[in-house]
Amino acid sequence: MTLRLASLTLLAFLALLVSLLVGGTVIPFSQVGYAMLHPHAPGDVHVIVWGLRFPRVCIAAIVGASLGIAGAMLQGMLRNPLVDPYLTGVSAGAAAAIALAIAAGVAAPIVPALGFGAGLATAVLVAALARRGSGIDANRLILAGVSLSALFSAIVALVLTRLQQGGYAQAILAWLAGSLAGRGWHDLIFAAPYAALGLILAVLSVPALNALRLGDLRARTVGVDVDRAQWMILASASLLTASAVSLSGIVGFIGLIVPHIVRRIIGSDARLLIVGSAIAGGGFMALADAASRSLFAPIEIPIGVLLAFIGVPTFLYLYLRPGRKTA
Amino acid sequence: MIGARELCLRAGERIILSDLDFHISAGEFVAVLGPNGVGKTTLLRAIAGMHSPDSGTLLLNGREIRGVTAAERAKTIAFMQSEEILTEAMSVREVIATGRYPHHRWYQWHENQQDDEIVDRALAAVGMETFGRRPFATLSSGERQRVWLALGLAQEASLLLLDEPTSHLDLRVAHEMLHLLRTQARAGKAVVSVLHDVNEAAEFADRILLLGCERLLAIDRPEAVLRSGLLDLAYGTPMELMRAPSGALRAFPSFATGRSE
Repeated sequence: MTLRLASLTLLAFLALLVSLLVGGTVIPFSQVGYAMLHPHAPGDVHVIVWGLRFPRVCIAAIVGASLGIAGAMLQGMLRNPLVDPYLTGVSAGAAAAIALAIAAGVAAPIVPALGFGAGLATAVLVAALARRGSGIDANRLILAGVSLSALFSAIVALVLTRLQQGGYAQAILAWLAGSLAGRGWHDLIFAAPYAALGLILAVLSVPALNALRLGDLRARTVGVDVDRAQWMILASASLLTASAVSLSGIVGFIGLIVPHIVRRIIGSDARLLIVGSAIAGGGFMALADAASRSLFAPIEIPIGVLLAFIGVPTFLYLYLRPGRKTA
Repeated sequence: MIGARELCLRAGERIILSDLDFHISAGEFVAVLGPNGVGKTTLLRAIAGMHSPDSGTLLLNGREIRGVTAAERAKTIAFMQSEEILTEAMSVREVIATGRYPHHRWYQWHENQQDDEIVDRALAAVGMETFGRRPFATLSSGERQRVWLALGLAQEASLLLLDEPTSHLDLRVAHEMLHLLRTQARAGKAVVSVLHDVNEAAEFADRILLLGCERLLAIDRPEAVLRSGLLDLAYGTPMELMRAPSGALRAFPSFATGRSE
């Protein structure tokens, strides 16, 4: 398993490297390497690498890793392979707030922060509705997440209908389809502390998450404080997802399917699964971003759209092709 | 080890057991008997700290069980339920290694060498040394029961609670399981197991804790409980006593022997 995790890490590293090399123009490896080693040297390549691509690759890696971790944790906690990080209502809440903010003409730099706040507030509301006793009821969580997401999606649809085809509608659609266009260090500085807090909670939750594989009851018998573990996992997943959404808009597929694929490769041990999902999610997102920048340059395809077009058929082939067991 | 004083247990709105007084010591194998729905599992859950008593106290090594943290409790009590399904693909070794959770510090992610040795010993104690890498899903019912027992042993708990460990097992495998439990009791652990078969309890247990009519009817040596006539009261049917060829006392409902009216 360690070898498989190492291979996954190598592949993710290569994906990050490729993401630095390609884009509107392909820059040779030697020039990118030189620019990386000499950050203060003058020239166009340095501007492209340090000013545009490197921050974007970092953001892509953080978004992908965050969604991968959040998906793996929620799937593990709820023992449900259909769960994705957006179940907590974060994306729908963020999208509704962003749509309303753009429609109201709120200054663009504030929009991601509003999305983050609204996403997190929605997650808190979903958690409050899912609460039973001192813990969380899995069915209530799923029902509350799906219901509130439907409500917020309706708000987004309403806003889009009212705006019709204006520039504001374009800006909202860009958020809904997921994109890293124009993102830089200043965006990362805002989201990083929350993502870091989510990561710390994830790290602290991993041993309990691993024991939860035995089921809630058996986890209790081996000493897991199941209620506390559930709240920590939900808080961690919400923080990571809200940070990711504030950086990239709504990027589907990664939080749902990356943990599936990693589970196939390295097993269900939460300790390896979380690390593997972070690495694979980061690498995958960086690669997708590189593709979105370069396939039809100078036009950027939204990452969410690209991931759905490439990822879903791949996933269906891997898991649902005739003759394959769907364990 | 574990004691109850005037213990009263409730299921929903209904009091199901009241005024339970008993003490179970290390090195004992106690079988919990009683009709369906009498509260055997609830009693086990209460001892495991997963069901709050309505009134009365449960003492674990002299301390009230309510005040013991989940991790501390897991170091002393292993509770093995046979019903829960495992949805994740796990190897036998992974399942058993989870028993080391309460012994880990909050920052410890992985098992250390000592943990590995304890898991090896647990596997050996249930005769499954060669099963470590097998997927749990491929095991038979009897093998799964042994894995759950090994999980409890990996916890290094001194009190083993088992809820119907022989249900779904054939005669030979059930006897192997009970033999294992008795071996654990002889090794110094307290074993408390809900059983359905009175005769299995009579053969393997040191004492029988008999529940019926919403109370503790008896906690005594098997022969004394069988002779007391309290089984009739507990199960609501007349029981016949017989001697097995080995000389051990056996009980059967009288309709099973064809002598009821």
